[in-house]
Amino acid sequence: MTSTLEQPPGQTQAAGRRPAPTRTALTFRQRVNRWDVRYSPYFYVAPFFVLFGLVGLFPLVYTFVVSLNNWNLLTGPGEWVGLKNYGTELTDPLFWNSVFNTFSIFLLSAIPQLIAAIVIAAVLDQNLRAKTFWRISVILPYIVTPVAVTLIFSNMFGEKYGLINSLLENFHLPPVMWKTDTLPSHIAIATMVNWRWTGYNALILLAAMQAVPKDIHESAAIDGAGAVRRFFSITVPSIRPTIIFVIITATIGGLQIFTEPKLFNAASAIPGGPQRQYQTTVLYLWDLAFNRESFGKASAVAWILFLIIVAIGLVNFLLSRSIASAEAKAGKRRTRRRLAAIAAPSPATGSAIAGVNEEDFR
Amino acid sequence: MNSRNLRRIAILTAAASTTAIVLAGCAGGGGGSSSGDSNEPITLTVTTFGSMGLDDLYKQYEKDHPNITIKATNIDTGGNAQTDWQTKQAAGSGLPDVQAVEEGWLSKVMQVSDSFVDLRDYGADDTKDQWVDWKVKQATDKDGRIIGYGTDIGPEGLCYNSKLFAAAGLPTDRDEVAAYFGGDNATWDKFFEIGKAYKDKTGKAWYDQSGFVWNSMVNQLPEGYYTSDGKLNVEDNADLKARWDLLAQGAADGLSSNQTQWDWGKGKAFTDGSFATFVCPGWMLGGVLKSNVEAAGGSAETGWDFADVFPGGPANWGGSFLTVPTTSKHPKEAAALAAFLSDKDSQVAAFQKAGTFPSVTAAQTDPGVTGQNDLTKFFNDAPIGEILGKRAVGVVAQYKGPDDATIQEQVFGPSIQQLDSGKADGETAWNNAMSLLDQLVVNK
Repeated sequence: MTSTLEQPPGQTQAAGRRPAPTRTALTFRQRVNRWDVRYSPYFYVAPFFVLFGLVGLFPLVYTFVVSLNNWNLLTGPGEWVGLKNYGTELTDPLFWNSVFNTFSIFLLSAIPQLIAAIVIAAVLDQNLRAKTFWRISVILPYIVTPVAVTLIFSNMFGEKYGLINSLLENFHLPPVMWKTDTLPSHIAIATMVNWRWTGYNALILLAAMQAVPKDIHESAAIDGAGAVRRFFSITVPSIRPTIIFVIITATIGGLQIFTEPKLFNAASAIPGGPQRQYQTTVLYLWDLAFNRESFGKASAVAWILFLIIVAIGLVNFLLSRSIASAEAKAGKRRTRRRLAAIAAPSPATGSAIAGVNEEDFR
Repeated sequence: MNSRNLRRIAILTAAASTTAIVLAGCAGGGGGSSSGDSNEPITLTVTTFGSMGLDDLYKQYEKDHPNITIKATNIDTGGNAQTDWQTKQAAGSGLPDVQAVEEGWLSKVMQVSDSFVDLRDYGADDTKDQWVDWKVKQATDKDGRIIGYGTDIGPEGLCYNSKLFAAAGLPTDRDEVAAYFGGDNATWDKFFEIGKAYKDKTGKAWYDQSGFVWNSMVNQLPEGYYTSDGKLNVEDNADLKARWDLLAQGAADGLSSNQTQWDWGKGKAFTDGSFATFVCPGWMLGGVLKSNVEAAGGSAETGWDFADVFPGGPANWGGSFLTVPTTSKHPKEAAALAAFLSDKDSQVAAFQKAGTFPSVTAAQTDPGVTGQNDLTKFFNDAPIGEILGKRAVGVVAQYKGPDDATIQEQVFGPSIQQLDSGKADGETAWNNAMSLLDQLVVNK
């Protein structure tokens, strides 16, 4: 893509260098050719932009217009209320309840999930027998549809007849109110999310781990660094960009979680539990639009959610950029040290490298 | 192939795909004509939900009207059908020629009743006496337009487990049970009183959860959440509050088994003696009770029976209508099809197929409805058709406001769950409901 875009300036430059007097009228063919070079790239990228405009940009703008109206789902647009819907929603305790639930479920799922994914990836990165089998096994939960996952888990987490409470009962422990109490329900939903996504993230991290040069590992091993030490001082820092990518995608996914809480108690008339114990923001939005028919307010919530995600995306971006630049600096420093170490008669090059590692990754 | 040719092909592809997208966007709008010629071949689309038992009737209709092809879509549940209808209604396109509507979301349909054909234009006035009168009233909007033909109804009777009744020393014969609860004068006070005695004697709950009981209590009032002239009628509604107090006391006494609605431990709660009574609209008998009992490994031996009595008088829950959206290109033919699908013979056929109890009075007494079948066997040979016919007499068509479903589910739903799980007493729960009412309905 870049090369096509850069081509036209090069051509004009060449044309400019041509001596002016010899310039003659272009033939039709040449003209077509020039037109082709100049404008056809736009046609190549057009399908994406047309599609994006139709299914991305237009709905975005239209949602905003709807959010400025008192819009009933069925009877259509009412009066123009400006930003009032935003004000109402930002002061609505049910909205903040949904934001709390979303973040609570997100944190309960993202943190254990990432830790587990890194550990699983590290294990898969070892010299295992039947490697492919293990890797495929890890991705299996991902290919099961979330609806099926939720139905099964919802059954397991049943309060009266669920598998887990029956087990607890066998050990004479009190049953956990998975669908009534707030924290247990969040844990239950986070479990479903984790079950589905841990393997997927583990594979992405595994791919990154395999790109870590083996010689660094080897030299560290020669210096006497154990497996754990190498994992924390070499593997984890080297796959940092991938970890950030996984965190960003997990954030976006986590803030839009819908299926799991919707079907966790599928019969509940209020999506997200009778007391809205696990009603996430997307569920709240859906409830507003389709049960309470407040299309305007639902659109306002959609926009607020959009802005929240953009804000978090920005924070992620800044974080990752500062980390990346810190790494680049560290890289330069490392090269300088190495050069110095080679130039100066050093007592032990190996330990110098180990020292650099230690310093960089602390 | 050289690069220039490749480029040309790419341009063409890009142009073609762009055009295709634009065209696809427009494709929905065209086609269709409203010709008066009755022999022109036409296709009618029908959207139904759940098991309405109409499939064979479509075939019969196509056979009798060779020029008509029926394209039927059946959506799994009424709730999903509501979402489907709402989305299409809001989008302004995609609605079928005949749309089935459930009583539970009829109030939403009534908000936009002018986007449905007035069936009086196609002879509804001549046939409207065939239905129970309240069914027609439900489908009549405030301007007197009849927008739906009634199919099934959900008159409520009392399901009880005769084995559990016997163990608690209560009568088990269904006529005696009906009399014991007060027969035609059965009240909720009596229902809770018997329940309290049952609980004291056996230590077990009386009914599965409070939601269905509350639903019935509200639905059978002459005026529910709205007055008949459409005003919100909750906060100072003494009838409602009195019934709420009864329900709260019942929950406090442990009469509710606090089961999950529509789940019941995948039916286990119906077979393990968790509770002894269950409010039963006609469709609940086969579609819910029997299938849940069987899913949990039970059978007719589990002991469920059906009595011709209901606390607080006649009540109806659910039932459906067939409507014709004004977007239909063939309203005349669609109305004719809807009329056929809801006439006496069709309702008898649908009952035999799916157990949907007829709203046409002549069908209610048809031997095909009152006779024996699998369902009657399951309920200890109870004459279900006959009982339901009696239970349908005297139901009132309560006015349902636009937010009726929201009040039922979102305002009282959480409070009922609080009662059942013992998290709040009646007064607190009622106050919680009132603050939700303010937030969700009054100041929406």
